[in-house]
Amino acid sequence: MQETIVRLKARYWPDHLLGEILSKRWTETAIPVIVLILVAFALSGMIDNFFTPAALSDTARQAGEVGFVVLGMALVVIVGGIDLSVGSMFALCDFCALYCLNILNWPVPAVVVATIVCGALLGAVNGFLIGYLRLRAFITTLITLIIYRSAYDLLLFGNSVKIASAMPDFPSWDFLGMGAVFGIPSVALVYLVIAVFGHIFMTRMRPGWHITAIGGSRRSAYNSGIAVRRTIALCYVASGALTAIGALFFAARLGTVGGDVGIGLEVTVLTATVLGGITLGGGNGSVAKALAGTLIVLLVTNGLTTLGVRGGFNRMVLASILLVAAIVDIRWLKNRTRIISKVYVSPTYHFLPPPPSTEVGKGGPFEQNDKLRDVTLIGEGRIEAPEDVILDRHDNLYAGSRHGDIIRFLAPDYQTMEVYAHIGGQPLGMAFDRQDNLYCCIGGMGLYRITPDRKIEKATDETNRSLYSVNDDSRLRLADDLDIADDGRIFFSEATVRYEMHEWPVDGLEARGNGRIICYDPNKGTTHTVLRGLKFPNGICIASDGQSILFAETFGCSIKRYWFDGPSKGKVEVVMDNLPGYPDNINLASDGNYWLALVGMRSPALDLAWRMPGFRKRMGKRLPIDEWLFPNINTGCVVKFNEKGEILESFWDLKGVNHPMITSMREHRGHLYLGGISNNRIGRYKLANADPDFVQYDRRWGKQS
Amino acid sequence: MIAALRDFTDRVFGRGSAAITVPPFDGALKPNQMLEGAEVVAEFAQPNDLASHGDDLYIADGVAVLRHAAGAMQVVAHFDREVTALCALPDGRLAVALDGREVRVFSAANGPADTDVVISSGNMTAVNALAAASSGSLLATDGSASYPTSQWAHDLMSHGRSGRVLSIDLASKQVQVLASGLRYAFGVAASRDGAIVSESWRHRLLMIGTKGAGRSPLDNLPVYPSRLCPAAGGGFWLTAFTGRTQLVEFVLRENAYRRRMMQEIDPEFWVAPRLNSGNSFREPMQGAHLKTMGVVKPWAPPRSYGLVIRLSPDCVPRYSLHSRVDGHNHGVVAAAEVGGALYVLAKGAGRLLRLPLKDIEAEFGT
Repeated sequence: MQETIVRLKARYWPDHLLGEILSKRWTETAIPVIVLILVAFALSGMIDNFFTPAALSDTARQAGEVGFVVLGMALVVIVGGIDLSVGSMFALCDFCALYCLNILNWPVPAVVVATIVCGALLGAVNGFLIGYLRLRAFITTLITLIIYRSAYDLLLFGNSVKIASAMPDFPSWDFLGMGAVFGIPSVALVYLVIAVFGHIFMTRMRPGWHITAIGGSRRSAYNSGIAVRRTIALCYVASGALTAIGALFFAARLGTVGGDVGIGLEVTVLTATVLGGITLGGGNGSVAKALAGTLIVLLVTNGLTTLGVRGGFNRMVLASILLVAAIVDIRWLKNRTRIISKVYVSPTYHFLPPPPSTEVGKGGPFEQNDKLRDVTLIGEGRIEAPEDVILDRHDNLYAGSRHGDIIRFLAPDYQTMEVYAHIGGQPLGMAFDRQDNLYCCIGGMGLYRITPDRKIEKATDETNRSLYSVNDDSRLRLADDLDIADDGRIFFSEATVRYEMHEWPVDGLEARGNGRIICYDPNKGTTHTVLRGLKFPNGICIASDGQSILFAETFGCSIKRYWFDGPSKGKVEVVMDNLPGYPDNINLASDGNYWLALVGMRSPALDLAWRMPGFRKRMGKRLPIDEWLFPNINTGCVVKFNEKGEILESFWDLKGVNHPMITSMREHRGHLYLGGISNNRIGRYKLANADPDFVQYDRRWGKQS
Repeated sequence: MIAALRDFTDRVFGRGSAAITVPPFDGALKPNQMLEGAEVVAEFAQPNDLASHGDDLYIADGVAVLRHAAGAMQVVAHFDREVTALCALPDGRLAVALDGREVRVFSAANGPADTDVVISSGNMTAVNALAAASSGSLLATDGSASYPTSQWAHDLMSHGRSGRVLSIDLASKQVQVLASGLRYAFGVAASRDGAIVSESWRHRLLMIGTKGAGRSPLDNLPVYPSRLCPAAGGGFWLTAFTGRTQLVEFVLRENAYRRRMMQEIDPEFWVAPRLNSGNSFREPMQGAHLKTMGVVKPWAPPRSYGLVIRLSPDCVPRYSLHSRVDGHNHGVVAAAEVGGALYVLAKGAGRLLRLPLKDIEAEFGT
C-alpha cells in the first residue's frame, strides 16, 4: 500500500524539475517579478482606479524617468561598484537642460545632447576617480554627491527665478515631457528601446560580458586580459549619461528647478536595484531585474501616497524593503548552490523483481564458474581505464585511457604501446566504419572520429533540444557506446542528461530514466534523439536484421531492441529483463550471437533501496559519496545471448584478482578481449570453438565471409 | 515537549542524535598493518574465544576447547553445544559458556566431569565473555536478552538494549545482575573496584561497580569494542570485532529501510557490520569500495575490520594493531598474552595470530 503511494508519487510528481528550474539563472529574475505581481494585485485591491489608463500612463512616465537612473545604477553595481551621486547628478542635469533651453534658448536637439554630455562628464569624474585612481566607490560617490549638490545649490541661487519665469514653447520639448504614441508615453518608448539594447548589450555583447566578469572577480578579469580600469570608468560615464536622460524627461515634464529635485533619489534607485535582485558586490544582474525592481518601488511609493500615508512613513517603508531585499539577496547568493545541490538530486522509485540465481550448484544460465580466472593480461599497469577495446584487421588492439588518449597495442605480442590519438576526453565505446574510420564516444565531449591516417575529427557534440525539458539537453554529456548501421548512420547512447560523466553514481542514486539514444547521420551531418527516458542506456549493437539495434539499460538491468527501419520502425521491445547484474557493452560474436558484459552484480540491499526514494534522497544528503550504497561493479561477468534473449553461456571470474571489472569485450580471431573502466589492464581469453579468423568489423562490412 | 520537538528537528536536519558522524582512526588508533602482517598460527572453523593461565593457551572452537602448546593443538574438552566464551580461573580450572545459556566450570587437566559446577539460572541468553573476579566469583557479560550470540547483528539492527553484566558466585551458584539495559555487553575484565565492560553498540567501555554502571573511561570509539584481556605490563588489550561506518549509522536511523531490510533480506547481505566481508557480490557495496586500478582502498568504510587496542591501566589507548579494509584478519574477538607473545583471534578469518611482544614494542617504542 505504502509502496504504491511511493511509486505513484515518483511516477507523476515531477520531483526532479524543482532543482532544474532553480538552477536556471532566470529564476533569480522570476522572484522579483512574482513580488511585483503580488504588489500590483494587492494595491489594485486596496485602491480604486489603480489600473486606469491615465494612472498607468502616469506611473509609466515616472517609471521611465527613475528607470533610466536605475539602469545606470544597475550597470555600476554589476561592475562591482555603487553610485550614490545619482540624485545630485540628476538635479544638475535637470538644471543644465532647463538652463540651456530657457536661458540660452538652444534648440531642443542641442539641449538633449548638451544634457547627456553634462551627465556623462559628471559620471566621468566618478569614473576617473574610481576606475583609474582606484578610490573606493562608496566614499568617492558620497563625496561627489555632496559636491554636485552644493554646485546645484550655488547655480540655483542666481538662476532659479530666470528659469521659472521663462516659458519656452517647443512642441518637441512638450512631446518629450507629455507626449505619447498610441497612448504609450514617449519616455516609456525611449526606455523600452534602451532597455532592449541594454539587455542585448549585457547578454550578447563582449563589453557586457566584460562588465559582469569584472563584477564577479576583478582579479580574474584582469588576468584574462580585460581592460578593467577603463571598463569600470566607462560604466560610471554610462551611469551619468543614463541619469541625464532621466533628468531630461523630468525637466521636460515638470520644467522646474526646485531645491528638492533628486533628493533621496539614490535611496529609491538603490532599493529598486537590490529589490530586482542585482547583487551588491557585483557580477550578477540584468536589465529585466532592474525593470522589475523599478516597477515594484514605484508601485509601492505611489500606492502609499495614494493611500494617504505621510511622507516619512513612505520613506521608512522603502528603507525597510531595501533592508529585507538586501538580506534575502545576500542569503540567497550564499546558499544558492547549496540549496540547488540539495534539491537537484531526486531519486525515484525503481522496482526490480528478485534476480535469477547465480550461485554455484543452483544451475541456471548465470551459474558462476571460474572460466575467466586464467585470462592473460595486456598492458598491466601501463594503461588506465580502458572502457572499450577494439581490434583492427591487422590484429592491433585499441583501447581508451582516462588521460584522454586512444592507446594502440601493436600485434602480435601487444608489448609495444603507443598513443594512437590524443583526444582529451575519456574514450568509451568504439567502432570501425566501412572506410576504417574509428568512431569513438568520448565522455563529456561527444562523438569523435579518427581517420586511418590518425586525424581526429569531431562527428557531433549536440543533438536537438527536447521541447519539454527544463535543462538544456542539446549538448552531449555522456556519450557511451555506439554502433553503425548499413547506411552509415551511427546510433549511440547517452547514459544521462542530468549529470556529468564522473557523477554517474548520482544518476545511479536517482535511478531515473535520464538517458537517451541518439542517431548521427554522417551523410547529412545531422544529429537527432531517437529514444528518451532510458535508465542509463549503455551498450549498443546493430542486430542481425540490420533494421534494429540491441541496447542495454545498465540500471534498468535489461536489454531492449529498437527498430530504426523496416515495418516495425520506432518500436521498442524488451529482449531480456531482470538480469542479475548491470549490463554494459554489447558486441557481435563470431557465431552470430551477441556478447554482453555485466559490469556489476545486483545486491539485495541496493535493490531494496531503489524501491525507497526517500531513503536514497536522505542518503545522498547526509552521507559523502564514498559512503553511499553503490551498485556493486567490482565483480562482473561476460555472457553470450541470442536474439531471442536466451543466455547461452556465461564466463565468470570468482575472485576477480586478475581482471576485476568488465565493461566490454570484443571477440577477435578466437580470443575475447576484455576492457574495464576502473582497471589498469586489458584481459585476453582464449575461446574454445570460436572462429579463428573472425574480425568483427570486417565481417560486419562484408570484407570477410 | 521541547525534547520531542528537538528530536524532530534533529531528524529533519540530521543533527544531534540523528548525526551520523563516526570519529576517525586518529591518535593512538592511527592505522598500521601490524595485525595483517602477523604470523598465522592456526586456522579454525568456528573459533570463539581465547584464554590463558599465563603459560598455556586455550582456544574455544565450535563445541570444543583446545589447548595450544609447543606448536600442537590438543582437545581438552568436548561439549554438546557451542562454546561462546572461555576463561581461565586462577585455580587452574576453565570456565565456559555453552550456547550463551549455561556457564560451566571444569578442570583443564581432566576435562568435563559430572562434578563440574554448572550454572544455568539467571535467564542467560547470550553470554559471550567471562572473567575471573578478584573475589573468587566469575564475571560474565550477557549480550542480549533477545538474540543468541550468533545473531549479534540482529541485536544491533533492532536497537537492542538488553545487555547485562552478571556476577556468578561459584560456591553458591548465585547469579547477581550488576548492570542491565546495556546496548550489547561484549567483553569484561576485572578491575580494582569492580569490572570494566565493553558496551559495543555504544562504542565505549563502562566501569561497573557494586552499585551498577558507573562512568565511561573510554568512549566515542570508531569501532565496536569486544573482549578485554589483561596485559602483562598493566592495562588491557581491547579487541574490536568490526568498525563503524556512516552508512550503518544512517541505516540505524532509517527505521523503514531497517525494518524492511531485516524482513526481506538474508542477514548475510544486510547493511550491517560483519566479521568478514568480500565473500559475495551480493553484499552491499559502498562508493569507496570500488576497486580502482586493481586496488581496494584500505581507508574505505569498513564492512569488517581487525583491531586490537592496547590500553593503559586507566583505559587510555596507547597504540593499536590493525588489519585494514583491504586485509583479511578481520573480526577480532579475543586476545591473550602468552610467553612473550600476543595471540589474537581473528574470528572473521578463522585465524589465530601471533605477534611477539618485542616486535610490538619495537614498532611503538614502548
